[in-house]
Amino acid sequence: MHESFLRHARWRYLKAAVALSVVSSALYLWHDPLDGPNGGTWLGYTLGTLGALLIAWLAWLGIRKRQYASNLGTVRGWVSAHVYLGLALLVVATLHTGFQFGMNLHTLAYVLMVLVIASGVWGIAVYTRYPRMITDHRSQATREAWLEEVLELNERAIALADRISPDVHRFVLRSAERLHLGGSWREQLFYKGGSAAGTELGALTEILRKKLTASDAERAAVTDSEQVILLTDDKIMLSERDPAIERLKQLLELLTRRNDIAGRVNQDVQMHGRLQVWLYLHVPLTAALLAALAAHIIAVFLYR
Amino acid sequence: MADSVKIAIVGSGPSGLSAAAHAAELGLSYALLEAEPHLSNTIFRYQKGKHVMAEPGVLPLRSPLKFEAGRREQILSNWAHGAAQLKLQAKMSSPVTAIKGNKGNFTLTLGIGGGTLQAENVVLAIGLQGNIRKLGVDGEDAPFVQYTLDDPDEYQDEAIVIVGAGDAGIENALALMGHNRVTILNRDSEFTRAKEANNAAVLKALANGQMKCLYKAGIAKAEPLDGRPRGRLTIKTDTGEVSVDCDRVIARLGAMPPRKFVESAGVTFPSKDPNSVPAVSPTYESNVPGLYIIGALAGFPLIKQAMNQGFEVIEFIEGRDVEPADTPLLRQKFTGVPQWGDVNAALEYIRGRVPVLSPLTPLQLREFLLDSEIRTPKAGDVIFARNDYTDTFYSVVEGIAEVQISPTDPTKIVRLGTGEFFGEMSLISGRRRSATIKAGPGCVVIETPRRSMNKLINSVADVKRVVDETFIRRAIQAHFASNVPPAALADIVSTARIERFRPNELLFKQGDTGDCLHLIRRGSVMVSREVGGKDIVLAYAPAGQYVGEMALISEGVRTAPVRAAVAVETIRLEGDAFQALMEREPSVREQVVRVYKDRLQANAVAQHQQSEGNVISFLLQQGVGEATDVLLIDESLCVRCDQCEKACADTHGNVGRLNREAGPTFKNLHVPTSCRHCEHPHCMKDCPPDAIRRSPGGEVYITDSCIGCGNCERNCPYGVIQMGIMSKEKPSLWKWMMFGGGSEPGLFEPAYAKDAAKKAAKCDMCKDLPGGPACVRACPTGAAVRVSPEEFMRVART
Repeated sequence: MHESFLRHARWRYLKAAVALSVVSSALYLWHDPLDGPNGGTWLGYTLGTLGALLIAWLAWLGIRKRQYASNLGTVRGWVSAHVYLGLALLVVATLHTGFQFGMNLHTLAYVLMVLVIASGVWGIAVYTRYPRMITDHRSQATREAWLEEVLELNERAIALADRISPDVHRFVLRSAERLHLGGSWREQLFYKGGSAAGTELGALTEILRKKLTASDAERAAVTDSEQVILLTDDKIMLSERDPAIERLKQLLELLTRRNDIAGRVNQDVQMHGRLQVWLYLHVPLTAALLAALAAHIIAVFLYR
Repeated sequence: MADSVKIAIVGSGPSGLSAAAHAAELGLSYALLEAEPHLSNTIFRYQKGKHVMAEPGVLPLRSPLKFEAGRREQILSNWAHGAAQLKLQAKMSSPVTAIKGNKGNFTLTLGIGGGTLQAENVVLAIGLQGNIRKLGVDGEDAPFVQYTLDDPDEYQDEAIVIVGAGDAGIENALALMGHNRVTILNRDSEFTRAKEANNAAVLKALANGQMKCLYKAGIAKAEPLDGRPRGRLTIKTDTGEVSVDCDRVIARLGAMPPRKFVESAGVTFPSKDPNSVPAVSPTYESNVPGLYIIGALAGFPLIKQAMNQGFEVIEFIEGRDVEPADTPLLRQKFTGVPQWGDVNAALEYIRGRVPVLSPLTPLQLREFLLDSEIRTPKAGDVIFARNDYTDTFYSVVEGIAEVQISPTDPTKIVRLGTGEFFGEMSLISGRRRSATIKAGPGCVVIETPRRSMNKLINSVADVKRVVDETFIRRAIQAHFASNVPPAALADIVSTARIERFRPNELLFKQGDTGDCLHLIRRGSVMVSREVGGKDIVLAYAPAGQYVGEMALISEGVRTAPVRAAVAVETIRLEGDAFQALMEREPSVREQVVRVYKDRLQANAVAQHQQSEGNVISFLLQQGVGEATDVLLIDESLCVRCDQCEKACADTHGNVGRLNREAGPTFKNLHVPTSCRHCEHPHCMKDCPPDAIRRSPGGEVYITDSCIGCGNCERNCPYGVIQMGIMSKEKPSLWKWMMFGGGSEPGLFEPAYAKDAAKKAAKCDMCKDLPGGPACVRACPTGAAVRVSPEEFMRVART
């Protein structure tokens, strides 16, 4: 029922792209100009014109996909053709150069084109990989629901900390303030799990450990209770059902859950970011390419 | 001192006020008597800000006073303004306690202030609201008991009991619940008498705990208390009597004709039923000559009708004949059939020839025809084609209509003659037309829209019976026995009956004796089987298919439970009669066995592919069981670019009708918040201007006549209707792309005038765009598709 843009119309544009590449390559091999293959031969001009037209048409996708009322094919068809003919452009344009590269404007245009195509390939890769990952990661939840839960857990943690002691309360408050969601583009894209709040949680655990052992020591003097306190990185396990200790345990549970969900949100943001970030290279590079291409054509015709 | 006038008008509601205005306009001698200290008490007593409708919409207004749909305040001010312009004289606070005498010599006794009035003619326009139905128990007039609610904001932090679960009671309860503790008393177990929107709103409020309801409850006694709470109620319920304290009781139990008073003037009533109204002549004269009755008391409860009657009655008294206001409209309708004569003759002609319309009262028939169109297609013209999505109803008045019963062989034809009807299948099932119908020689048909026909079916029992019987007979013919003579079906038709099931109710369960077959005529069902302790949905059967044949063929017990996916109506065919039919008619048996074998095979496959069953059951849970077209997103392809949403907004006046991210997901299959174009659209149920329509292609859309009341938004269980302000303005793509000016197409939010009205917006499947839904065409990766129920199984398999 659902058909991906890659398989659109039974791979129609893949076939077209392969045909274009094969025909271009065959002509290139067959053609044997006197001064060697270059952009100035009739085949060079033909491939160059074809390449320039292809580039203009490929860039037109940005227009077509926003012409929502347009009935000229579907956007899926356009994207399919964009992908495959864009890849074929690499062959056409490379053959157009006749492998003559140098430190000049012409090679700059070529390099920009290669970069645009490379970023496009990156785009195809993330488009095939991330959509499913995002769905799996969400596992039926929504970002809004997560954010609501984070806020609610925060409030509960602050209220609970208030009942424990002023310094813990202060600590939880600060931790809540510094809880990090989203952030700059770099933070979004390169989020590695954990957070400032997470490291703070470690510090809080440390404080609590001190508190507990202190109170434990005091208590031990009086009641000789057999408390076993296990403190790991993020978790605290206590053996005795002392209300004060229960509260501490609850607080740590709340904060752990909060940080866990905040981490999920950040991962969700990250995946969404990575799904789109290639466009931030692809599109500006395309603009640069169009400028360089125009300069290349003008230069060729004016200063030949 | 006794005054004397030509016309005494009793009551200043819509009809009386309009009559007085016309009398004043003509400079006649008249007196307008009103019991209350203000005009139009019923409308005056409407809840503050209430939206008043001006139905029937097509009927022209015939009154010197202005009236159009709007807020209570606007209407009252229009009337006051009109009355002042005409220098209309009214005697306020002058209740009439008795009317004696005859034409030319009536004596009216006035209650307060005393005195009498002599009149040649009396127009009784007192309506029903002056005689409100009370609790009818001890304490019905206690100070904490009231029968109207003017301004809900007047009460804060009170415990209020609303008695009566009709529209008035519900509207009061909803208005009060924000600042008070409201309990509503319902003598039924459901809110069946209320409009759909009120029903939905009250159920939602109850679910959210915003008010309480006592079902099957009635008041037995009301006792005032000192201080607060101000009173104590004894309430009878199914489980015995309970005592409830409250500050206020608001009883909204409707009103009755003030029978004693009217009878004392000599007017007779046609029946003992307390709700019956006196009979009047076509000139609104009662059995007492010179005593005219108009408005609700004469059985015309709509404001516009009442106002027209006020105008007309003065004309009649003046000895002029006026034709009813709708006559010119009806005459227009009948222009294509001059041979039927003028309006009254044509109406009688239709009544005489179309049995399904004969039980209608003259008024009902007129209303019915006002909504309908008379069609005179040429022989051979297609009236509708198989698979069209239209849902109008046709009655044959003259000539022949030809039904092509076979999809493949156009020569197989059934002829329908005068008095027969067609189109009831799609009307009832909400699905595509099941046959092509062409006009035969001399064909004249009445085409009636779905809403008018449903109204008639629901209000006239005889019409419902005839339509249902025909539906059953034709459904059986169409499904099993197109070659069988109708006489051979008499047995099975006579024992068939219609059964209704609530969503999720079992039609039958595994192990039941298979004693019947269900032909689904509305909604859809799911066939499931327990595998490893879990119910796996094996199959889904939409309206037009049947279930239950397996046990009949194998003469055994039910092998799988069948459950209603949505509200379902089936035609239940008795097993014995069906077995007999199969024995008599081998072709029927063959056909059923073929379906049976296909199903066995499909079930075996489905049981192996459990995940498919889970996908179907997921889709059915999302309500696609009543859908005709659903937007489904494959999340493994969706790059979350929201092109679909932008495309929707850009092509629909900058108001999007689609929320991609909202909605549930199951194994990469995502059902976004978007219209499903239900078989029986919930949104259509309660649309005052009848603005929601279904096009022949199946798209349910909203026309420009939307008044922005929001009923459809509340009625839609899928939350896919938005109220928004649409605009034709479009941002420039080039300006945005090249210079970053303006906004991106699809994300444009123009500034609106402050008074711009919000209207309902919903998916119309881009029926006006060539190429189909913009959301699907704009999807860059192929993640978004729209599918119909027939295709769900295929989706489930991929």
